[in-house]
Amino acid sequence: MRRRAFLIGTSAVVTMAMAGGRVALAIPGPDELIWAEDLPGTLDPHALSDVPMQSYMINVYDTLYVNRENPPKLEPWLATGHTISEDGTTVEFKLHDGVKFHDGSPLTSEDVVWSFQRMLNVKKGPAAAFLPVLDPSSVTAPDKTTVVFKLKKPYAPFVAATPLVAIVNRRQIEPNIKDNDWGQAWFASNAAGSGSYIADISTYQPVQQIDLKRNHDHFMGWSDNKSPIEIVRKRTIAETTTRVNALIKGEVDSTDSYLPVDQVERVLASKTATVSKDQSMRVMVLRMNNKKAPFDNLNFRLAMSHAFNYKGFIDSVLKGFAVRNPGPIPFNLWGAPKDLAAYDFNLDKAKEFLTKAKAEGAPVDREIEIHIQEHLAQTTQAAQVLQQGCRKVGINLKIVPNLWPQLIASTAKSDTTPDMWVHWVSSYFIDPENWIGQMYDSQFQGTWKASAWYKNDKVDALLREARGLEDQGKRQSLYEEASRLVVVDAVDIWIYNAIELRGLSNRLRGFHFTPIGSGADFRSMSLAS
Amino acid sequence: MTRFVLHRLLLTIPALFGLFVLTFIMMRVLPNDPSAALAGENATPAQIAAVRKAYGFDEPLWKQFIIYVEQVAHGDLGNSIISNRPVLRDISDRLPATIELTFVSLAFAACVGIPLGTLAAVWYQSLFDHVMRILTVAGLAIASFWFAIILQMIFAMELDWLPLRGRFPEGLAPPLHITGLYLVDSLLTLRFDQFGKAFVHIILPAFTLSLAGLASIARFTRAGVLETMQKEFVHYAEAAGYQRRRIIWVYVLRNSVVGATTQIGLLFGGLISSAVAVESIFDWPGVGSYAVNAILTSDYKAVLAVTLVVGVIYAAVNILVDVVHAWLDPRVAETL
Repeated sequence: MRRRAFLIGTSAVVTMAMAGGRVALAIPGPDELIWAEDLPGTLDPHALSDVPMQSYMINVYDTLYVNRENPPKLEPWLATGHTISEDGTTVEFKLHDGVKFHDGSPLTSEDVVWSFQRMLNVKKGPAAAFLPVLDPSSVTAPDKTTVVFKLKKPYAPFVAATPLVAIVNRRQIEPNIKDNDWGQAWFASNAAGSGSYIADISTYQPVQQIDLKRNHDHFMGWSDNKSPIEIVRKRTIAETTTRVNALIKGEVDSTDSYLPVDQVERVLASKTATVSKDQSMRVMVLRMNNKKAPFDNLNFRLAMSHAFNYKGFIDSVLKGFAVRNPGPIPFNLWGAPKDLAAYDFNLDKAKEFLTKAKAEGAPVDREIEIHIQEHLAQTTQAAQVLQQGCRKVGINLKIVPNLWPQLIASTAKSDTTPDMWVHWVSSYFIDPENWIGQMYDSQFQGTWKASAWYKNDKVDALLREARGLEDQGKRQSLYEEASRLVVVDAVDIWIYNAIELRGLSNRLRGFHFTPIGSGADFRSMSLAS
Repeated sequence: MTRFVLHRLLLTIPALFGLFVLTFIMMRVLPNDPSAALAGENATPAQIAAVRKAYGFDEPLWKQFIIYVEQVAHGDLGNSIISNRPVLRDISDRLPATIELTFVSLAFAACVGIPLGTLAAVWYQSLFDHVMRILTVAGLAIASFWFAIILQMIFAMELDWLPLRGRFPEGLAPPLHITGLYLVDSLLTLRFDQFGKAFVHIILPAFTLSLAGLASIARFTRAGVLETMQKEFVHYAEAAGYQRRRIIWVYVLRNSVVGATTQIGLLFGGLISSAVAVESIFDWPGVGSYAVNAILTSDYKAVLAVTLVVGVIYAAVNILVDVVHAWLDPRVAETL
């Protein structure tokens, strides 16, 4: 009897499981977008400023200005426009009237002031771009549609940096402030925005998933999109193979924008998905610690610059999905000289410069370490390509696995900064300041971006002058001159400007790439039936 | 038996403290300061230094350790330095998924591994035994991430029989939260449809995770059964006319699984650490994927908390195994 009961029970469970299985394999609903891209570590847009946060923030929050299209154009959003005083220290924004937060309360200039004050007091993520030039008390609201910023000194990239700052609803945050934390504990897993999509906090699982629902009352209306998406399910799928399989199978509508080149053909061969290939502003750099011997020797740096097989790396490893970038500023941004001569892969020249460096007493025979980011395969591949070139000219290059947090912590001092390391400089705000300004002005030494420890008074002067001017034409010529100087000094090895590759389902329409947020602006998207 | 359990519990305390100290030192001795990441892309050295001070990263290591020990003694494992959420809350949200996956894997490994090992011993040097030995060596050698991808390609992509990823279908409400274990909660609420959905989602990750354990249990059982079958009481039982099936599956097996039982306890820790890779590949929302993210972002409070929680579970399972061990073989408890 017991055996019979066991058999009946087992059969019932297996049958139920199989019945459940058919339902479990269902595809997403017709008005549900499943977006498989990493979630930010926190939901507080003033606490983090990385790529996942940008993709979340541009949908749930509004900002004074936004970047649209590619190459990106800075367009007024919450602001209708702005004026800058002649001395460059007062910036005044006029706001749209009648904007509402998701809870129905009005968004006025006082909310903009409070948001900037919160961001500056929290002192994390986006604050870094503003703290050197802005005090919390210097942001005021003369009336409900005007905001005035009094800067400590002229700072030309100020307006370009405003898309970093989400305007948040103080009426939701203030009741949750504890111990003067500006509501950070509460805001880490809550939302208080006015953007095109509303975060459904009941679905939030940190770093794993959140659902967004369309904000029907968004101040910009929806006339530009006849069939907007009602629900967006943002999901983190950590493993690339699983993410690509899920796209091909129709379980998700996108991958992230770092689709490995070996997966591109696989996605294109499927009947369910395609690949969007977009020129970005993301420069890969092999950093050299200019303060450490033998990198303090120009001829040694020139030898290293000629020992990297640029074409081989771009054509073979990246299958052509990148464009050679000869200097620090992305070639598709103003300020990058059009006539900049790139270093080529030339082992004879490398040997020649190495001989000169040795003659000048540089310790070229010592083991050189290049640190790679262990979980990013492309950093290893780049180091291996350099290692191959170095071996042929007699430089002993050792590849050391490392992780991003450890690497940027090590760049606080020149003696702890590795000989070399590999990273990209992504676009957080669209201005040469984001690249050459913060990479080679010596005042930024001690940050990971300035980890070359390069000091050239002429370059410092050019970059500082460019930062203080409003005239883009004048700034452009200063950045071009600075670019030429750092390239002549072979400060680092600049490899390429990325073409971002994102797998997209065939039913997705209206995807428009912008380097900020990598095209994850759901406002313009729709789903074909 | 009570004295035995108490003794095991007392031994656990210094072991856990040692684990705690080691993990803290390993996380903090490395140049592992997340201040620069927290301060943002464009932070100046002064801004990074301000963040370092605000989080106490500029304090001497011993002081940071004492502050942390005080916090933990009050049951507070701290907030994640990245998300600013209590790490205990994040872990408790995710732990049931890992526990469910680990226990299903362990149950599968034991339920399949013990009979296979027994049969291999009974049919010693037969074709079945040879095949089993090859398969168990392969099971121990195969990398779980490779095996997981192969299973995904066959059962999810080609045959479309099983889900590719996740714990429950997208967009559907999961079972009512009682224990957090979907299989248990769906049965407790009599939602057999939900049980079915949760069950099909766990098949591939559980099978992947169980492979090495299954192979190990099968090998230990085989060795144990072979040894026991040489004992005199087996020959007496055969001479006394007991059914061979009864001798093997009742008397021999009970005396042979002591080694395998110990192995199951050790396997538990191994399974939890292997779950890191399996959870990532199958997009299983457990502690493993949380730990990976914490390591990549240098969120040391999250890493410490995960290590401590997993250490406590591992210690608890080992005590349980020791108790079972003592129950199977009363001489073990008498040694104290």
